[in-house]
Amino acid sequence: MHLTINGKVIKAAEGEMLLPAIRRQGIEIPALCDHAAVEPCGACRLCMVEITRQDWNGWRRHVTSCLYPVEEGLIVSTHTPQVLEIRRTILDLYLARCPNSDVIQKMAEEYGLTKTSYEIIPEGDNCIMCYACTRICEMLGKSAISAVQRGHKKVISAPFGKEPPDCIGCLSCAFICPTDVIEWRDQNGTRTIWSRTFELISCTACGKQILTRDFADYLAAKRAVPREYFETCDDCKRVELSRKMGGLVDLAKEVAL
Amino acid sequence: MRIDSIDKLSRWREECRRTFTAPQRKVFVCLGEACLANGAEEVFHEFQKLVAERKLSDVTVESVTKTGCHGFCSLGPLVIIEPDGTFYTKVGKADVAKIVDKTLAAREVIDRLVYVDAGTKEKKVDYHTIPFYARQQRISLRNCGAIDPHKLVDYIAVGGYGALAKVLATMTPQQVIDEITNSRLRGRGGAGFPTGRKWATCAQIEADIRYVICNGDEGDPGAFSDRTTMGSDPHSVLEGMIICAYAVGSPQGYIYVREEYPLAVVTLQKAVDQARERGLLGQNILGSGLSFDIKISRGGGAFVCGESSALMKSVAGDVGEPRAKYIRSVIKGLHDKPTVLNNVETFATIPVIIERGADWFAAIGTKKSTGTKVFSLAGKITNTGLVEVPMGITLREIIFDIGGGIPDGRKFKAVQTGGPSGGCLPENKIDLPVDFDTLTEAGSMMGSGGMVIMDDRTCMVEVARYFLSFLASESCGKCVPCREGLYQLLQYCIKICDGVGTEADLAQMEQMAKVIQIGSLCGLGQSGPNPFLSTLMYFRDEYLAHIRDKKCPGGVCRKLITYTINDECTGCMACISVCPVIAITGEKKKKHIIDQALCSRCGSCYAVCKFDAIDIK
Amino acid sequence: MTYRYVVNPDLCTGCRTCELACAFTHTQNQKPGRSRIYPIAYRPDKFVPVTCLQCDDAACVKSCLFEALKRNPTTGAIELDKQRCVNCRACVAACPFGCALIDDIHDEVVKCDLCGGSPACAQFCPTKALIYRRIA
Repeated sequence: MHLTINGKVIKAAEGEMLLPAIRRQGIEIPALCDHAAVEPCGACRLCMVEITRQDWNGWRRHVTSCLYPVEEGLIVSTHTPQVLEIRRTILDLYLARCPNSDVIQKMAEEYGLTKTSYEIIPEGDNCIMCYACTRICEMLGKSAISAVQRGHKKVISAPFGKEPPDCIGCLSCAFICPTDVIEWRDQNGTRTIWSRTFELISCTACGKQILTRDFADYLAAKRAVPREYFETCDDCKRVELSRKMGGLVDLAKEVAL
Repeated sequence: MRIDSIDKLSRWREECRRTFTAPQRKVFVCLGEACLANGAEEVFHEFQKLVAERKLSDVTVESVTKTGCHGFCSLGPLVIIEPDGTFYTKVGKADVAKIVDKTLAAREVIDRLVYVDAGTKEKKVDYHTIPFYARQQRISLRNCGAIDPHKLVDYIAVGGYGALAKVLATMTPQQVIDEITNSRLRGRGGAGFPTGRKWATCAQIEADIRYVICNGDEGDPGAFSDRTTMGSDPHSVLEGMIICAYAVGSPQGYIYVREEYPLAVVTLQKAVDQARERGLLGQNILGSGLSFDIKISRGGGAFVCGESSALMKSVAGDVGEPRAKYIRSVIKGLHDKPTVLNNVETFATIPVIIERGADWFAAIGTKKSTGTKVFSLAGKITNTGLVEVPMGITLREIIFDIGGGIPDGRKFKAVQTGGPSGGCLPENKIDLPVDFDTLTEAGSMMGSGGMVIMDDRTCMVEVARYFLSFLASESCGKCVPCREGLYQLLQYCIKICDGVGTEADLAQMEQMAKVIQIGSLCGLGQSGPNPFLSTLMYFRDEYLAHIRDKKCPGGVCRKLITYTINDECTGCMACISVCPVIAITGEKKKKHIIDQALCSRCGSCYAVCKFDAIDIK
Repeated sequence: MTYRYVVNPDLCTGCRTCELACAFTHTQNQKPGRSRIYPIAYRPDKFVPVTCLQCDDAACVKSCLFEALKRNPTTGAIELDKQRCVNCRACVAACPFGCALIDDIHDEVVKCDLCGGSPACAQFCPTKALIYRRIA
């Protein structure tokens, strides 16, 4: 189907959201809570664009492009003064909440802001509440952490702030976090994250740490990956493969002879 | 014993009617929440005891009926004697013996308990003559105060489930949808979406299951009409839902009741159990082939869960956070299935529209807002309670003619309509008709019917602060404009209340309010700045007084007011004994003095002074 | 068209040209990438170029909880979608041959993608121990 973006008529597929269609045109708009691995959630509001239609007689609407499906005949504007004002104000509010975050500071600079116009929130930290961590945990089927509390007291946490019973120590949340606020540590054969300690599997051949026992068990159970695959590390497995393949070559030679 | 056919229902109705009308005279004791809190249960039990002892000719123990909320909450506990129409107010346990002896036995009216009009000082014995009741047209509240909400037989006796029978026997689902569409009924929860169109859209979507949900969250501070309907006439809600299930094709319904309404939950559950027992819910209702059941789902104490998509998440067991509604919940709602979500009042109105016809309903109210609306009158108003009036009535009529105006001789200042999402309207706007569209144009909205009246001792900036504080703490916190924006707006407002705000702050607030309105994910955020914007629009001078003059014209903001004792002081020492910080000194019969350094502006002295000797400036 | 990547360890001399070619073909930010091919000596003078076997029933694909590993129908290779990859290293641990690799320099998971249809290792192998052949 066809729609107009910033004056240019483009093609899009049914069921697609506006954001990928906009990005395909090479137009850059900020989208903090957007990540290819998880479903969009429209929390940061930075990807807002203005939409209208011919038959709306000049009436406009602002929607988050990550969640709005493409429509035949839609007219989209990504950088109107009002849209820019919205983005700027939102980044200004972010600066009040996460004053020390590089990610926010860099984005805010592009919109002409070096510091916030508002009162800095005393409990503010670098968590930008993009919900990437909770979404990724939900996606892998565990939902071990969640956003708790309401309003500006909202934080990402394990149930009741204690050790999350469903966590498997896979570190997906820590790795996907755009501002690196989730702390974790590997030491002495264990991994600690969200105040919970997990046992790491050590390679039976060389003793190198591979991944947590819980993670391996989960993959084996949920995805039918043979559990024994996780008992040796990748370096040792490559050596094993070379021996196997080499052994076959030798055997073939013997047989030929 | 199941009622498994419409004929059986008609026959049972006759039995119920005979039982219901058997006593010649009936004594209705209101056990609504407000009356209960004032000792109505004792009154009820006392009536039961004394009537049994006295053995009167026309009043038996069966006559003594507890009802749900009768509506005139500021005068409870209420006792009404039918068919006389005798209306007794503020009845205590000690009064019951006298009522039994005089009014029940000898048909004598007890003067002390009779209603007195606050303005004209006229006494009115029959409640039909009281303006509060006379000006109402009770459609969704038709049975509230007239039946025992815990007795299905009462509901049947007054015609309940007759609409359902008519639907199942004589109408197709499409005909039901057409009837509701033709009535031009709009949702009573606040948004005012045409109900018929919502049902039609849901019915048309191909799906393996559809849901019907009743929104009983009623989060607006100051609104209590749904509480009454759920607790006083629960079957009307059930009947409306079953008719909807028939029209759109749904096997499962939910009533989402807020955590703060424990009585409503109990009453609704009882009603559901009774209906199920009789075959009015469950498989093969009245032998028609329709199967529909209802589950009561409790809220967790969150205002945001009144928002439809957050409500559905809560029903599904998830955290109640809204989602962007570009794909409407009537298409993808609960569990991503087509769902009809309507308010309690909307469902309670459905059976009446079916019985009396779309044309009858559409003739009431205005062209674009048909029918009646229930309003919860609260705040600085003489007659606190619930009223149901035709759309198009003016705010002035509601506040002064029905509501009895402002008590204690004070002046009207503003009326807040539509809950925190609405706005405040000043005196020069109260001749506007109340309907879905007119108030919105004026910067407020009708919303779910909450009406908080404010007198001249109210500070509009403080009102804005109060509602912003409410909204900021009720925000789910998912999106930035609402979570951070409302919080920052609140901080600015507090600064103004404390006298340290600037005009630059005001400009900053106006700019941010606009962004919050456009940028927020759901209705809570989008309407969040309304309390600020509407008070700024009509009471800008008060904001400026706080900023420029460091004064609070309403005499409320603690950091900007002083309490002083004037020459009216007789030296009675009443204020000295209530002052919590011992700031007042003085001897008997000599003018007292308040130490400004110690005074905490709590207002206790002002409250006890009988001589108007305390000035608040 | 279906292609197959063929490894003949008998012809491998351990010259490591394939490793160099792979690293430089996957240069990122002016740094050579981690080589996806690993010539290993299973005896002092006998080498096997170990690389991803693009398994039919791949453990890496199964272990990815975020659907970041998918087969490219044209080249036959299992490709890692870097946008979707969260870096959880499940595939690195799951591959029975250790052929999903961690690039320590860029701190990400890398995987042989047959260079999108023209594998550099096969191009540069002097003894033709590595061949990319059309089979249909």
